[in-house]
Amino acid sequence: MHRFITKAVVTASALCLAAAGFAGCSKKPDAANNNAVVGITQEPGIFDPHTVVAAGDEEIIFNVYEGLFKYDYEGNLNPCLATEVEISSDASVYTFTIRDGVKFHDGSDLDAADVVYSLKRAAGLLDTQGGVALVSELDPIKTVEITADGKVQVTLESSNSELLCYFTTGIIPEGYDNCQAAPVGTGPFKFESYTPGQSVILVKNDNYWQKGLPYLDKVTFKICADMDAGLTELAAGSIDIFPYLTPDRVNQLDSAKFNVLSNGSNMVQLLALNNAVEPLNDLRVRQAINYAISRKDINTVTMDGTSVELTTAMSPAMGNYYDSSLDGTFDQDIEKAKALMAEAGYENGFDISCTVPSNYLIHVNTAVELASELKAIGINLEIKQVDWSTWVDQVYAGRQYETTVIALTSAYAPYDVLERYQSTSDGNFINYSNSEVDRLMAQIPLTSDVNERTELYHQVLGLLTADACSVYIQDPTTITVVSTRLEGYHVYPMYVQDMSQVKLTGN
Amino acid sequence: MSQAVKNKANRSPEASAFYIAGIILLGIVVISFIVSLFWTPYEPDATSAASKLLAPCLEHPFGTDNLGRDVLSRVMAASKYTIFISAAGVAIALILGTVAGIPAGYFGGITDRGIMLLGNSIMCFPGILLALVAVAVFGPSVTNVIWALGLVFAPTFARVCRLGTMEIKELDYITHARVMGVKPARIMTFHIFPNLVGQLLPATVIGLANMTLFESGMSYLGLGVQPPEASYGKMLSEAQAYVRVAPWLVIFPALMLVFYILGLYFISEGLRVNLSKGGK
Amino acid sequence: MKSKAGYFIGKFIELILTLFVVSLLVFAAFSIIPGDAARVMLGPNASEAQVNLLRAQMGLDKPLIARYGSWLLGIITFNPGTSYSFNMSVSDLISQRLPVTIGMSVIAMVMVIVISYPLAVVSARKPGRLGDQICSVIGHILFAIPPYAASLLLILLAGSVFSLVTVGNYVSPSDDFLGYVGCLLLPSFAIALPKIAMSFKFLRSSIIEQRTSDYVRTSKSHGLSDLKILLRHVLPNSNVSSITIISIILSDILGGSLIVEQVFNLPGLGRLLLMAIDRRDFPLLSGMVFYLAFITVILYFLSDIAASLADPRIRLK
Repeated sequence: MHRFITKAVVTASALCLAAAGFAGCSKKPDAANNNAVVGITQEPGIFDPHTVVAAGDEEIIFNVYEGLFKYDYEGNLNPCLATEVEISSDASVYTFTIRDGVKFHDGSDLDAADVVYSLKRAAGLLDTQGGVALVSELDPIKTVEITADGKVQVTLESSNSELLCYFTTGIIPEGYDNCQAAPVGTGPFKFESYTPGQSVILVKNDNYWQKGLPYLDKVTFKICADMDAGLTELAAGSIDIFPYLTPDRVNQLDSAKFNVLSNGSNMVQLLALNNAVEPLNDLRVRQAINYAISRKDINTVTMDGTSVELTTAMSPAMGNYYDSSLDGTFDQDIEKAKALMAEAGYENGFDISCTVPSNYLIHVNTAVELASELKAIGINLEIKQVDWSTWVDQVYAGRQYETTVIALTSAYAPYDVLERYQSTSDGNFINYSNSEVDRLMAQIPLTSDVNERTELYHQVLGLLTADACSVYIQDPTTITVVSTRLEGYHVYPMYVQDMSQVKLTGN
Repeated sequence: MSQAVKNKANRSPEASAFYIAGIILLGIVVISFIVSLFWTPYEPDATSAASKLLAPCLEHPFGTDNLGRDVLSRVMAASKYTIFISAAGVAIALILGTVAGIPAGYFGGITDRGIMLLGNSIMCFPGILLALVAVAVFGPSVTNVIWALGLVFAPTFARVCRLGTMEIKELDYITHARVMGVKPARIMTFHIFPNLVGQLLPATVIGLANMTLFESGMSYLGLGVQPPEASYGKMLSEAQAYVRVAPWLVIFPALMLVFYILGLYFISEGLRVNLSKGGK
Repeated sequence: MKSKAGYFIGKFIELILTLFVVSLLVFAAFSIIPGDAARVMLGPNASEAQVNLLRAQMGLDKPLIARYGSWLLGIITFNPGTSYSFNMSVSDLISQRLPVTIGMSVIAMVMVIVISYPLAVVSARKPGRLGDQICSVIGHILFAIPPYAASLLLILLAGSVFSLVTVGNYVSPSDDFLGYVGCLLLPSFAIALPKIAMSFKFLRSSIIEQRTSDYVRTSKSHGLSDLKILLRHVLPNSNVSSITIISIILSDILGGSLIVEQVFNLPGLGRLLLMAIDRRDFPLLSGMVFYLAFITVILYFLSDIAASLADPRIRLK
C-alpha cells in the first residue's frame, strides 16, 4: 500500500512538471484578428497633448490627437486639421483655414472655437492659466482669434518664421480639460484604456476624416520591462511591432517572420560635458576629449556600425540645415589630444564622473566604450548609473553632473534642435554660453528667407563645433522590427508610432 | 541548529567529502581572485570593436562579450566583488548581530524583547525587498549594497548569539564571574563571545553564500555593482540578450557564481555534520 | 506555565508591536529618499513655483510626524493614498498586480510540496544509498543557483530545446484561467527549485531522525505507510516545525518572485516595485513595502499559532 501512495505522488509531481511544459504553449495572435501589438519599453504617463513631455508618451498619442499640421514619415510637415495656412510677410501672423467634416472621438464636430481653445490652452492664454504656457514653444503667441470668415488667426508677440512645426500640437474639444484620464482627439484611433505597467489600448475611430483609414480595429501598446523582454515576446509572437532595437538583437530574429525597417532617427547622441565645471570649462580639454575618441568604434560596438557618426549638434537627417563641411572635424587623433591635454596642464589626465540613465542600454554601453577609449589620454571616466527620474532631476534639471551620455530628441525642425544652446534656455543643461550663438538664435526667427536662415544655422553649428561644447557621437538609426503579418508600417525620423497606415498583409 | 542524525557508517567520510568538494569549488574562485589582483589576460574593462562576441578560442578561452571585452578577464575580475561584498557584508552583519544578540541573551527581559522586536521586524521584509529598498533609497553602489546586506542579515546572527548566550550564561563559571562582580561588558566580551565562535562559524559560512545570492540578484537588477566593473549578476543580465547566440556569456559567470555558493554550502554542511557528530 | 489564551494574547501583542516597528522603518526609509517627488512629477521644465505648489498639494511641506500620522492612518484603513506617477489609488495598482505575484507564489508552493515531499520520503527510506546521495547532491546544487539564473537556464532549455513554452506571454486569469496558470508555471518553477531543495533536505533529515525513534518503529510494525507516519508523527514532532519552514519558504518565494518577474517580463508586484523606485513614488513604494512585510508578519503569526496548536510544547518555550 505505502509503495503505491509514494508512486502516485511521484507520478503526480512528474505530471505537474510535464504540464509546466505543455500548458505554457503560446497563444499567437490570430491572423483573423484585425489588430496589432506594439512593444514599448517606457512606461507611458501623460496623455494630455499639451503637458506631454516624454517622447515615449508622444509616440502613442500621435495616433489619438492631431494638430493643425502633421508630420509624415519623410519628415514633411503637411496640413492636417488645417487645410492651409497663410503667414504674413513678417511672419508675425499665422492664419489657418480649418478643415470641414472632422469629428472628435466624442462625436462632436471640429470647429474654429475648438482650435482657439486648444491653442490658447497650449499657449497659456486661458483666463485660469495665469499666462504659463503648457507648450513652452508656443509661448510667443499673443492672441488667438476667429476671423470673420471663420478662420483662426494667431498673432505672435514678434516675428517668428520657425513656429509652424509647433502647430502640430493636438487639438481638443472646446472647454475639455480631462485629457489625462479620457483623451479625446480627432486622430485615427480612440483611446480605450491604460493599465499601468501593462498596456495602452487604442481602438479604431470609425469617423476618421481620412476615408478608409485606419485599417486596424485595435492597437495595443504593450509595456515591456526592457528591450530584451520585448524581444522574447516578439519572437514568441505576442508582439507584432517593436521599435528601437539594436542590430545585434535583430540578428537573432527569424528573418522569415519579421521585416526589419530602419530610418535615421534625427536623434543626437552625445557625451554632454558640463561647461561650467573644472576641468571641462577649458576649451582645450573639451577638444582633447573630442579628438581622443573613435566615433567609428563606438558605432561598431554599440550599434554594429549602423549609426550616422556626428561631429556637431545636428543630425544629417535634417537635410540642408545640416552643415556637411563640419564632417571629419574631430577624426580620432590621440597625439593631438595628448598635446591639448598637456597644454591645458593635464598631461597626467584626471578623474571625471559620467552619470548615465540606467534604463538606456545604448547610453550605458557608449559610456563603457568611452571609458575604455579615454584611458588613452589619461582620463578616468567613472560611470555612475542612475535611474531615469534621478537623471532628469540631477542632470537635466539640476545640472549637477560632470558628464553624461544621452540622446537629444526634437521636432523635425532645426530651430528645435538648436534652441537649447542659447545661454538662457531651460534645455541648456550643458551650461553652454556663447553670446554670438545667442545673437544668431535670436535673429533666426526674424529671418524670413530660407536660404539666409540655413546660413545662420550653419554659423551656429560652426560655433558649437569650434567651442567643442560637447562630444557629439552618433545619430542611432531607428530599427523597427515588424511581423510579416502586417504591412504599411513606416519608421519616422522622429519619436512616432504611426499606426494609421498599418494593415494585415494581403488585405 | 538542526540535529540531523547521520548514518553511522557515513559520518566522518561524509564530512571530509563535503570539505574536500567545498574547498575545491571555493578554491577555484579564490585562486582566480588572487591571480586577478596581479594579472588578467586582458584589461577587464577594455572594449574592442574588432572582437565582438567571439566564441571561446585560443586568444579568448572564455570568448568575448558584446562590447568585445574578454570574458575570462571579466570573470576573474568579478570574483573580487563577489568575495569582497559577501565578506564585508557578513562582517557587518556579524558585528551588528553580536552587539545586539549577546546583550539580548545575557540581560533578557526588556532589553531582549526590544532587540528581538527590532530584529523580527527587519526579518519580516522578504529578504531581497529590504536590500532593494535600501539601495534604492541610498543609490546603487558597492558600499550601499554591503550596508544593506549587512543590515538584512544581522538579525540572523543576533538570533544565534542570543540563543548561544542564553545557554552559556547558565554555565557555572559565568555565574561565578557574575557573583564575583565582574562587569557584564567584560563577561560578554571575554567569556561569552569566545564560546560563541563555534556556533557562529556555520552561520557565517552560510551567510557568505546567501549574501552572494542576494548581491548577484541585485546586480542583475542593476542595483548592485555598477558598469563597467564586472560582477557575476551584472554579467548575467548583460548576457541575457545573447543567450542563444553566445551561450558562453551565460555559462562562465553562472558557473563561477555557483562554484562559490556551492563551495560555501559544502563547507557549512561539513561543519554541520562535524558539529552534530561532536554534539552526540 | 502560560495558559493557551495568554500565549495567544502575547503573540498578538507581539504582532501589533512588530507591525508598528515595521511601519516606522518603512516610513523612515522613505522620508530620507533622495529626489524631489514633486519635481519628478512635473518634469524638468517646471518652474520653482509650480513645484512648490505641488509639494503643498502633496503635503510634502508638513512636519514629519504629521506626515507619518496621516500615512499610518491610510495604511491601516487599506487606503494608502494615490500614486504620484500613475494618478491611481495605490490599492488599485497593487490589486491589479496581485494575481501574478500571488499566482506565482501559490504555484511555486504547490510545486515545492508536491515535489519535495515524495522525494524526501523515497530518499529517506534508504539513506546513504546511491539514489539518496544523488538527490542530496542535486539538492545542494539547486540550492546554489540563484532563481534568476535558473530562469535564464529554463528559458534557454524550454525555448530553444523543447520550443514548448512561450516566455513573457502573460494572460490575465479573467481572460483564460488555464493560460494564466500556464504562463506562470515556468517562472514559478524557477523560484521553487531552491526551495524544493531546502524543503527536501529538511524533510529528509526529519524523517530519518524520527524513523529511528521507538514509536515510529512501533507504528511501522503495525503496518502504517510511510506517508501516514510522515503526516502523523514525523511532521508534528520534528525539531523545527514544518509549518515554520513552510512560512519561511513562502516568504522567500514572495521575495524571489520579485526578481524572477523581471526575467519573464510578468506584470507583477516586482516590476511595480522597481517602477515605483524609479519614479520616487512614495505612496506606492511605501504601501507596497509595508503590505509585503504585513503579509509576512501575518504568515509568521499564523504559523506560530498553528505550530502551538499542533504541538503544545512550543507554548512553553
